[in-house]
Formats: sequence, C-alpha cells, structure tokens
Amino acid sequence: MNPIALIARKESGELLMSGRGLAWLLALSVIMSALSLLLVSNTELSLLDNAQVVYMVMGTVTALGALLAVVLGSDAVAGEQERGSLMPLLLAPVTPSQFVFGKMGGQVTGWVVMYLLSLPYVWAVGSSGQNLAQSVAYLALFGTPVVLGFGFLGIFLSARLRSVRAALLTSLIILMLLVSPLLLGPSLRQSVIGKVFDAVNPFSAAVNTFDSVVIDSQPLAMQGTRLAVTLVWLVLTAAFAIRSVRKMEI
Amino acid sequence: MKKTVISLLLGLSLLGLGNVWAADSVSISLTPDPTNPPSPQMGDWLKFHSVVGNPGAQAAHGVVAWISLVQVDPGHEQPVDLEDWSAHKAVTEAVLQPGQNVKVEWPIRLIQAGAYRVVISAVDRETGHVMTSPFVDFQVRRKPVVESGRILPVAFGIPALVLGVLAWRRYRGRAS
Amino acid sequence: MLVEIRELKLNLGSHVVLRNVNLTLEKGQVYGLLGPNGAGKSTTISVVTGLRAPTAGSVSVLGLDPAADPIQLHRRIGVLAEQAGFYDWMSASDYLRWVAGLYRITLSQAEIARQLERVGLEGKNPALIATYSRGMRQRLGLARALINQPELLILDEPTNGLDPRGRREIHDVLLDLSANHGVGILLCTHLLDDVDRLCTRIGIIAQGQTILEGTIADLLSAQNAAVRYRLRVEPGEAPDRLPADIILRARAGEWWHVEIPSHIEPASAWRQLLDANVRIDEIHREGGGLEDLYMAVTEAKEAA
Repeated sequence: MNPIALIARKESGELLMSGRGLAWLLALSVIMSALSLLLVSNTELSLLDNAQVVYMVMGTVTALGALLAVVLGSDAVAGEQERGSLMPLLLAPVTPSQFVFGKMGGQVTGWVVMYLLSLPYVWAVGSSGQNLAQSVAYLALFGTPVVLGFGFLGIFLSARLRSVRAALLTSLIILMLLVSPLLLGPSLRQSVIGKVFDAVNPFSAAVNTFDSVVIDSQPLAMQGTRLAVTLVWLVLTAAFAIRSVRKMEI
Repeated sequence: MKKTVISLLLGLSLLGLGNVWAADSVSISLTPDPTNPPSPQMGDWLKFHSVVGNPGAQAAHGVVAWISLVQVDPGHEQPVDLEDWSAHKAVTEAVLQPGQNVKVEWPIRLIQAGAYRVVISAVDRETGHVMTSPFVDFQVRRKPVVESGRILPVAFGIPALVLGVLAWRRYRGRAS
Repeated sequence: MLVEIRELKLNLGSHVVLRNVNLTLEKGQVYGLLGPNGAGKSTTISVVTGLRAPTAGSVSVLGLDPAADPIQLHRRIGVLAEQAGFYDWMSASDYLRWVAGLYRITLSQAEIARQLERVGLEGKNPALIATYSRGMRQRLGLARALINQPELLILDEPTNGLDPRGRREIHDVLLDLSANHGVGILLCTHLLDDVDRLCTRIGIIAQGQTILEGTIADLLSAQNAAVRYRLRVEPGEAPDRLPADIILRARAGEWWHVEIPSHIEPASAWRQLLDANVRIDEIHREGGGLEDLYMAVTEAKEAA
C-alpha cells in the first residue's frame, strides 16, 4: 500500500472509529435533523416550494461539510506536531504531497460519510420530487470541490501557523467570509463589489448552482463557469497546502 | 352679472360632477376557475380569471390592473403580502381601445390558512379613481405541516444511528 | 564513513545557530553527541536527517546529501526523536505495521512480535498505546526506529523514562546492533553513564560549535582525567596493598577514596585488586572521567 493510502486509512480510522470523530458526526446529524424539522414545521416555510427546501438543505450540508473540513485540516499538521507524532511522519520516506493527499484521504472519508448521511434528509424534505435526482448529483459535483478545498485550506494554515487554534480560527474566519454573501441577502449582492465577490466565491458558486438547477431546473451546460470556480478553488488550495508542507521548518 | 354668475355656477357644477358623471373607463370581471378545488387547503393552487375591458367610447391609456388579497378572519383582518402567494401580480396595457377586452389569469398559491377576499383593481391615466372588480371570497383549510411519515424517522433515526455506533465503539473499547 | 560533517553552519534568519560543527561516524560505531541545553545538538540532528538545509559546510550521510535527497535517506535511517508521539487509539502491533507500510515493508504478525520482544514489549500487542507508560512508549519508539533495519540509527535520549533494568536492556540492543550488525549509532544524551557504556566516540558541542571530538579514551587521556571511586574495605586492610594503578586520595575509616588514571581501564584495576587479595566489600563510582571532562570543557567554553 502506498503512503497516501496508508495515511488516508489512518486518518479515516481516526475519524470514524475514535469517539471524537463520531461525536462530530453526531453533532452534524443533530443539526441536520433540527434544520429539517424547522423547515417543515414553520407554517410559512413549509409551503415554500419543496425544491427551495431541498436547496436550503443542500446549502447547509455544504456549509457543514466545509466546517468539518476546516476542523480536520487545521489539525492535520499542527495537531500532529502538538501531539509529537509529526516528526516520525516527516522522517519516514513520505513526500510532502503524499503527506497532504494522505491527510485529504481522511477528509474525503469525512465528506463521503456526511454526504451519505445527508441523503435521507434531502429525500425526506424534497417530497414533491422536483429535481430530487439532480439535487443528489449536484450536491456531490459542486459540494465536493468546495468542501475539499476548505480541507486543503485548513492544512495550508496548519502548516503555516503551526498552531491548531490559530489555524482553526483563521479558517473559520475565511469560511464565514465566503458564506457571508448568502447571509447578506440579494440586495447587497447586487452592488459591484457584491457581484464580483459572488463570481469568484466558490461557496456562492455551489449554492447559486443549487438554486439554478434544483429550483429553476437549469441544465449543467449553464453551470460551466461556476464549476470552473469551484475547481480552481480546489486546485489552488491544494497547491498552497503542498507548498506550505514542503517549506515547513521544524 | 346674473348671466356671469349662472355660467360660473354651471361650469363649476360641471367640473364638480365630472368625476361622478364620468363612467369607469375600464371594466373588470373576476371569476374563479371552475377547476379550483371546492375546499382548498394550504399548498393548493387557485386560479382566477379576469376580463379587463373598455366599455367606453374613448381609448384608455396607461391601464394597470393588479390583484389584491386581504384576510378577513374576524379579528385578523389584514392585507396579505403576495410575495410567496403569487408571482403574477399585475398586468399593464399601454392603450385599451374602446370595446377591447384583455383576458388575464391570476394564479395564486395558498400559503396560509384562513378566510380571504380577492379583488382586482385597475387605474388608467385619465380616470381619477380606482376601478375594481367584484370580490371573490374563499376559505383555505389548514394542512398538517410535518410530513411525519418521512421527516420524523429521518430526523430522529439518523442521530440515533450515529449514537448507536458511538455507544457500540465505547462498549467495544471497554470490553477490550 | 556513515556520517561526515565538516564546518557545518546554520543560520535561522539572522540568528547563527550552528557555527562550526564537525562530526564523523563510521560503520558500527556509537557516537555520543553531548552538550548543554541549547548547544545545537537537536539542530545538528535535524540537518543530518534532512529536515533543515545547512547554510554552509558539507554534510554527507550514507553518501547522500540529506537536504537534496531526504526521501532516499529516510529509507535507510531510523530516528528516535526526544518527543516520541504515537496514535494512542492504535495498538503497538497495528502501529508498527502501519509505520512499516510507510517504508513499503510488509511485516507478519510473528515479525512484529519479534520487534516488540526485542525492545522488551512482548505480550503488549493487543493493548492500546494510550495505556502505555512513558518507558513503554520509549521502547515502542525504538522499535519504530528499527522497523526498516536502518544502516544508521539516530537516537535522542533513548533511555528517557526507563528504569535501570530497562536502560540496560536498551543498551544491550544498541551494542548488539553496532557490534554485530554494523549499524552506526548517533546518540544524543545527557546521561554520561549511557555514553560511557555505549559510545566509542564522542563530540561535545557548545554554543553551536564542536569543541571536542574523538574517542573517549583519547580525550580522557589528553585531558589527564582520572575517575574517582569510593571503596569500602574489610577491617584490617592496609593501603600499601593497593595496586600501583589505583591512587589513594583519602581515607575515612573503612572508606577509601581512590582515583584510577584515565588511561587505565577500571576492569583492569579491579583485576589487580583481586590478584593482590585486597578484600573489598563495595565499590562506588564518585565521578571524574567523562563527567569531569564534560564539565571542564563546557565551563571553559562558557567562560570564553
């Protein structure tokens, strides 16, 4: 087995088999349950088009996935260092990119589990069935690069800042910044700055795609630019993560 | 002097009576669609039909006709914001020729339970008052909002599943 | 030559950490790297292992440039760092199997058991590392360092947390590796007893530079350092029966304070005692030798 697979398996095992990892998944599933009950028990909201409810759930799953990713990523380097287990990894015949992709293997496992956990929620709230299959597919297609990009971002900051707390704090601030347009509402996003930010923001790209596909039934061909934004985000954050691990000073 | 006063009075009265005497330039009808559910509930769609016509001899310019909804439950009378009820809130006609009729459909989605009154209003550039259609009243029944058959098993089942795995891991850890 | 360092210099920003470090280690040798805290020992180790690139000087480890070819180097060396962290949720055998995989080595259950037995962790396989004491973690760290059968072993305080028996067991493992398997060992430690027992060569670093390097015997001889002992003799023994190689410094009742010159092996001196039928009940080492040498050299450097 190559080092990437080995590290990935270790990370996945730590996430899924340790109490800490499972507690995280429990917390996330409770949040999803609360959201689902809230969405369908509110008198007004319950009469929104079910597609809009599905859209809200998809956005929430992506945001929670990004949150888990920054938590895992922030711990990836600095956490190992604080626990004294980084040195043996650096002294093994493992290249920086193998280390980073191995760590991301654990992130992929986390996202896959979250995605699978979210599917029953998407099905349950999308009872009208409008674009349900598309919502499942697009959550994977757009959610994955956005979430994994945040994972790479966490690793980059973890290697640069060498402190789990500092990396996590910085990651969360960046996450809040990228999620903010959706909280600000459509009118503020119509300004020049708002439009530019919306255009380059990977989180906006994913959520606006969910809106276009699930609510407005637009085809994939019309989402090309947004897909490109999420993929550029993924590639850039991966490059920064590998570079920061390579240049890490012990 | 007498002639002047009489002419002045006649002119004033004609001016004053102009608005009362001027017939509505636009006529509006409002009828519910025959396929509307007889006892609609929250989430149902209702459709209303209007014919906006010009019964007069003069053309009407800048005609705007819009739908209004009010809740008429005793003690809860209030206008309704049509934001979520209808995407089709108004029609305009630059010119409505004499005898011309424009058919309009008004679809609305029933968001909230209660008793409602719908009316279509219209104005044009010349007439000095709002012209309205007859009212149509309808009742919206409450619908159970939690589709417990789907949501509840998922909302409680998924966390229970994760909790079960957590407990099993703890038990295995203690056993070994 | 397994390790050859010539005039190593390392700056961290504007701070000069290593000024002039020299070190040579042959196959099968055990080299003790000594020095006060902050002298530059760990930094030197980080250069040897390829974790830092030198600012100047030449570094050759197993014929490789560590900074240029760290991955190749890591395949052939084993390192026990001072802080040995593990994944506490794993068992020792799972952990060693996982580490072996990083080196593309597949170990059977029997091989893992042998590795653990070698460092005194037999029978500890199923337990999670979280339950391990400090000494057990140290032993596991050594097992990890040996997993790839390294040609060069770099150990930073390897007997930390071990009781005297444990220390002796680790010493035996290391002596066996160097003597019978030709493994070169670079040992960083503050325990001079360990250095005395294990090392053939030592280097003393202070303030980022090597101030003394060579075999222990040569260095002690050059410094004219004697080792001090306290002997408890049988009543009635007379000091004139002491062999010539043992110099009496003081007497207090049945306790004799003696010195053995650095060029005399203590074992040889005790043999002479036996041959002279001097009845000795106890022998205690009081100091001198390497400890005096270390203190003298490092104090002189600090004063300079």
